[in-house]
Amino acid sequence: MIIDHPLLGPRDAAEFVVLGDASLIDRPDGMTATVEEMHDYAYLRDNPAGDHRELWYHEQGDRSWLVVTRSTLTHEVIKVELARNVARAQGRSR
Amino acid sequence: MDEITLEAAPVLGGANLEISGNRIVERDDLAIVSIATPLDGQDALAEALRNGWSLDVPDPTRSTLSGEVRAIRTSPDQMLLIFPHATPDAEATVQDRLAGTGYTTDQTDSWIVLEVAGPDTLSAMERVCPLDVPSFEIGGTGRTVMEHMGAMAIRTGDDSFLLLSASSSAVSFLHAVETSYRNVT
Amino acid sequence: MTQAMRIEGGMVDRERTLAFSWNGRWMTGYQGDTLASALLANGERLVGRSFKYHRPRGIFSSGSEEPSALVQLRDGAAQEPNTRATTVELFDGLYATSQNHRGPLAFDLMAVNDLLSPFLAAGFYYKTFMWPKAFWERVYEPLIRASAGLGRLSMQPDPDAYDHGFLHCDLLVIGAGPAGLSAALAASRSGLRVILVDEDFVPGGRLSAETHEVGGQAGADWVAEATAELAANGNVRLMTRTTAFGAFDHGIYGAIERRTDHLVDAEDRPRQVLWRIYTRRALLAAGATERSMAFGNNDRPGIMLAGAVRAYVNRFGVAPGRRVAVFTNNDDGLRTADDLSDKGIEITAVVDARQGDVVEDTIGRRGIRAIRLGDGRRIDADCLAVSGGWSPNVHLTCHHRGRPVWNAEVVGFVPGGELPPGMSVAGAANGTMTLAATIREGHGAGAEIAGDLGAGGSPGTPVEAVDESFAAAPFWHVTGLRNRAWVDLQNDVTTKDVRQSHQEGFRSVEHLKRYTTLGMATDQGRTANVLGLALMAEAAGKSIEETGTTIFRPPYTPVAIGAFGGRARGEHFRPHRLTPSHKWAEENGADFVEAGMWLRAQWFKKPGEKGWRDSVDREASQVRKSVGICDVTTLGKIDIQGRDAAEFLNRVYANAFLKLPVGKVRYGLMLREDGICYDDGTTARLSESHFVMTTTTANAVLVFRNLEFARQCLWPDLDVHLISTTDGWAQFAIAGPNSRALLAKVVDDLDLSNDAFPFMACAKCSVFGGTPARLFRISFSGELAYEIAVPARFGDSMIRALMKTGEEFDAVPYGTEALGVLRIEKGHVAGNEITGQTTARMLGLGSMLSSSKDAIGLRLSKRDAMNADDGMRLAGFRPVDRSVILTAGAHFLNPGDPADMAHDQGWMTSVAYSPELGISVGLGFLKRGTERMGETVRAYSPVRDQDVLVEVCSPHHVDPDGVRQRG
Repeated sequence: MIIDHPLLGPRDAAEFVVLGDASLIDRPDGMTATVEEMHDYAYLRDNPAGDHRELWYHEQGDRSWLVVTRSTLTHEVIKVELARNVARAQGRSR
Repeated sequence: MDEITLEAAPVLGGANLEISGNRIVERDDLAIVSIATPLDGQDALAEALRNGWSLDVPDPTRSTLSGEVRAIRTSPDQMLLIFPHATPDAEATVQDRLAGTGYTTDQTDSWIVLEVAGPDTLSAMERVCPLDVPSFEIGGTGRTVMEHMGAMAIRTGDDSFLLLSASSSAVSFLHAVETSYRNVT
Repeated sequence: MTQAMRIEGGMVDRERTLAFSWNGRWMTGYQGDTLASALLANGERLVGRSFKYHRPRGIFSSGSEEPSALVQLRDGAAQEPNTRATTVELFDGLYATSQNHRGPLAFDLMAVNDLLSPFLAAGFYYKTFMWPKAFWERVYEPLIRASAGLGRLSMQPDPDAYDHGFLHCDLLVIGAGPAGLSAALAASRSGLRVILVDEDFVPGGRLSAETHEVGGQAGADWVAEATAELAANGNVRLMTRTTAFGAFDHGIYGAIERRTDHLVDAEDRPRQVLWRIYTRRALLAAGATERSMAFGNNDRPGIMLAGAVRAYVNRFGVAPGRRVAVFTNNDDGLRTADDLSDKGIEITAVVDARQGDVVEDTIGRRGIRAIRLGDGRRIDADCLAVSGGWSPNVHLTCHHRGRPVWNAEVVGFVPGGELPPGMSVAGAANGTMTLAATIREGHGAGAEIAGDLGAGGSPGTPVEAVDESFAAAPFWHVTGLRNRAWVDLQNDVTTKDVRQSHQEGFRSVEHLKRYTTLGMATDQGRTANVLGLALMAEAAGKSIEETGTTIFRPPYTPVAIGAFGGRARGEHFRPHRLTPSHKWAEENGADFVEAGMWLRAQWFKKPGEKGWRDSVDREASQVRKSVGICDVTTLGKIDIQGRDAAEFLNRVYANAFLKLPVGKVRYGLMLREDGICYDDGTTARLSESHFVMTTTTANAVLVFRNLEFARQCLWPDLDVHLISTTDGWAQFAIAGPNSRALLAKVVDDLDLSNDAFPFMACAKCSVFGGTPARLFRISFSGELAYEIAVPARFGDSMIRALMKTGEEFDAVPYGTEALGVLRIEKGHVAGNEITGQTTARMLGLGSMLSSSKDAIGLRLSKRDAMNADDGMRLAGFRPVDRSVILTAGAHFLNPGDPADMAHDQGWMTSVAYSPELGISVGLGFLKRGTERMGETVRAYSPVRDQDVLVEVCSPHHVDPDGVRQRG
């Protein structure tokens, strides 16, 4: 498997560690979230047949966390973004 | 009691191997200092690098070289400076010139640096390095995994590289590199 | 006998005679022979026995599709069973034996199976070995195992070396026949970086076996010219002896290169190299494989594919027979007669199924002597060349589940469905069955791919050739046979088996395959599958198209497991990490234990110590009595810097960190987001914006990964930066009442008094007259203790200096076992307690959880169920009978309760013999454990056969008030 790193170009999946659903970026604020909201964040994942946004970590590379959009049907990698940029675009900051 | 002083010892005892006209040398004369870019501090750090060493901030896949000081990017907001320096105060010398424009950590002892050179180098690299190093330009860099060990490759010439890997697994790393040469010569 | 069947011509080098041993007899062949061609040259027709019926078998093909001529190559530990004689390149001194027979090959005792054949049909095992049930293990299985399989393993470690490697290209061309060579020429001329692989040891594919002209010259001459051009182009790598065996995700191909199999002496270099080839595009030009037809006794030695007969005659200069008959359903087969006649070999019959003529049966015992035609005529023949048409080699197109489609004109399956992304197909593999068309298609594909990838050079023009006639008829089998007709030679599947499986209701091709084992041998049925499908279609009254086909999986041809293992074997199975004091520890009697990739000293044996307990007890006692030194470099160390570093730590630790003063260390607990503890360690604040975190050895990588996740994904605008310094610092724990006195002689100019440098203090300092160091006053043992770190390059010197300086205190080095004893005595939790299933409250650390901040895991750690008052709590345990040695893993039961899970009260996590207390002590989780001090419970361990009474006590067996570490 190849992941086309936005800064480094195509890299072998052997350099990466996968975490799973990119919804893990959307962590609720623990001071204001209900237990149910925090529970859903921690435990619930979609399992789509089709495009899936996943978190991959370039552990044996530049230590970037990436959001990889991958089709679970064809295994095609459709899009790769720096997770930090995705997080910022989703309004995460400090 | 006699006065005791500590002596620095190269991890591989100063390994220097010749394999059919190729050479693997442990470079224990190089200091390595990481520089992290403070949030929103790119410009100040770039200026400090230029003023301090006449160095540009390297692209993610390229190193920059000024005299004997080399800069390579290790992450979007972190780079390594590699330069000849003997004493364990490399970080302070870097911080002197950065004047707080970057966060520094001494990495000299964290890494083993092997300089590999010789006519079979590209063939040997094929056996250990998943990156497309034959198409690296001189100065090209990549961080990857070699024989289960994290490693960096910097192309320093047509047939030469600097290879960096964790110092604790230096014996295994040397074995991996040496085996690669032996298997192609 | 000296190569009686050798004839003129061919590509073998007659100047270089090679001697080889076959079943103990020495024979000769030439450079350029395969073992198969050399055996045929020596008149050896019978080369093996079949899998099930032990029928005599000969050489059937001339390539990797060979189902019959499987031999054992080499001897001793290097012995390799099931090697195809048709792909083994002959070398001087080659040693081979036949396999799957008891007694001599010509008089196989197991041949009795052939007489039992009515009982050994499809499904025989399933039906026969059902009853009585008790017979399975005692009788049937040993019986089956003894007779199963073909070759024999040496049962010794493989003495050969293997390697792996990585290659990159724009275009990978698979197959160096006319299509592949043409494609490689066009692509490389255009400027692409090309890798061209071929499983054969000479490029050319069928051009080596045929008499075709290409570009006005002999095919082989054109191949030489083309390969010379490719070699001169610096962007092309032509790899012969290399099989592309699998198409994997995103343009990655697996290939196995046989580097030294053909050499007399490999000189210790790897025998084979497993390549991972990264490609932008790939072109499959793997050609086609000829198949047989079904007729009576169609498996005798001497019955051979027609294309193979031409290969032996044209390429190897070997006559497979003196009087050859041809049985064909296509024009290609007729060329065999022409080629052989040209070489002066007698053709006794050409039987063309398209004209209604058939071979009904063959005669002969250990090889064919004659054929019987459909009209009853008997015709002498010591070789029968059979051509049932050609099947495109679509295998790699199926590796992403693409399903081939039937093409009636080709009379074969051609690539269909979705090919692996980036793959295209040209030549016979694509169903383009004639030479000129193949060359044009290969050239066109190479040029088109170059265009797609933006290569600007001119691809030139395809070389001229003629399109030979190709007219195949879908003729599969002779009807009304009295004798058995084989479909799959390697797995001994006959036409009767295929029909029977249909009758018994196995209607899907996938079921047919598994019930009859058709196509399930190591050749994956390359010469058999289509024939089997045709028979099944006929039995079902359906077309082949409707019947469908099974598909192929990697590997295309068998790959040695050793090649996948590569060089990762023995002590280099995986890398080792060594601590800075490793060399010194080796010199001082250390026994090492693997902790992840680290090798850590677990104890240091002294002369006279009889077992590990002697060493460990001594080390632990001496720490509590005076002082001990332990290398703790393996603990993960992470340098954390930034304006927001304190805020960041406050969010990743469950306890408060924001206000940790500079010069202080704090113990920190990390939770997963679900509220469960996953790691602990200490973090020191060196300056306002600079912290050094330690993690457990096991979780160093995971913690770093999670911190990066928090930094990049959760709070991307905190100014915080991480870098690992685990390997950078040689760190030593110095523990025991004399640790301060020892350190006073080590550290330069630092006031170590309790007031100036209290428990949980830290400082940058220097040691032994100027070497930079970091000092932390932390204690895992519960004693007055420090950890001191110096740059790793000084680590070896440091341990020697510490031990020398410590002589006056009788300082001992201690290993991980004593470390464990000390922390169990002290009641400090470690991996046995922080298991990924335990909460802070269970661990007795519930009060650490902050309720005034958000940090990872805090919210869910507050859930009611995780805080129930009757939950498990950490407690200490001591045996009521003080002489008992406790065992970890024992479960606690209330005395008198039955030993079942319903009455489970908890479990023992850690035990150690405490030299301090002179008894065995334990830690464990017990329901409401903190409220039950002084109670007695059963510690029950059925797996260790122990059932003892233990007293519940504080987990802090030693110094429960923490006086020593603060002193």
